[in-house]
Amino acid sequence: MAGFLDNVHWPEFECIDWGERRNTVASVISGILFFTGWWIIIDAAVCYTDQKDLNHAFYTCGVFSTLAFFMINAVSNAHIQEDIYGEGCLGKIGARLWLFIGFLIMFGSLIAAIWILFQAYIVPGNPVYPGLSVFFQNLFIFFSTLMYKFGRTEDLWG
Amino acid sequence: MAGIKALISLSFGGAIGLMFLMLGCALPVYNEYWPLFLLFFYILSPIPYCVSRRVVDDTDSTSNACKELAIFLTTGIVVSAFGLPVIFARADVIQWGACALVLTGNIVIFGTILGFFLVFGSNDDFSWQQW
Repeated sequence: MAGFLDNVHWPEFECIDWGERRNTVASVISGILFFTGWWIIIDAAVCYTDQKDLNHAFYTCGVFSTLAFFMINAVSNAHIQEDIYGEGCLGKIGARLWLFIGFLIMFGSLIAAIWILFQAYIVPGNPVYPGLSVFFQNLFIFFSTLMYKFGRTEDLWG
Repeated sequence: MAGIKALISLSFGGAIGLMFLMLGCALPVYNEYWPLFLLFFYILSPIPYCVSRRVVDDTDSTSNACKELAIFLTTGIVVSAFGLPVIFARADVIQWGACALVLTGNIVIFGTILGFFLVFGSNDDFSWQQW
């Protein structure tokens, strides 16, 4: 029972040679997601200019998500795992702490966006589009961060 | 140099793309010049990649962090160039027909820029002499 899915595999995509282009594809997808998220909130800001519809405080979730994106992607995987004998103010532990805080901020922003969606839009019964746009902005930035951080491999960096 | 024919067809593509952009602004039924802000994105789009090619002169490795950041930013500029006309149309600053024309022009121009990099970009020694 424990290993009954062990022999189930995804279909092999032999035609796609991920090898050298993996990092490029991951960067492109990450860029599309990140900027689509921001354009969604810009669209909501343009269509719902009144503070009663879209409170300006709700933009902070996206700002913090973006900050977290840059924090998370500022440290490379090598910096965390191996001992880097170089200059720089963060050693291995400092880099891990930086990454930890980055992920904290990212998850916090995502949870805040979901909270905003429910508390300010769904529960009171207001038109839900602005709340959805805040949520999707943060969701897209979150997935963009994951894709940029984990979709690229540092083996190609030579 | 990959040839004069490629250069002429890329130039033609660029002209057609700009033609679509101008049609979207200047047709009497639309007559709104807001989409010309997209020219800013067109000019900005090759810059990150060119900067990364100049800054990191490392031909040994397949890729590096700077190049990937440049690709990320370039993708962002392209997405923004597609998003801005849609936002304009949703805010009723331009009409949806103008938006469609401008988006078509976008596709053609970014295809041209991409073609330019594919045809003329892959040089073994990317040095100032190329410019």
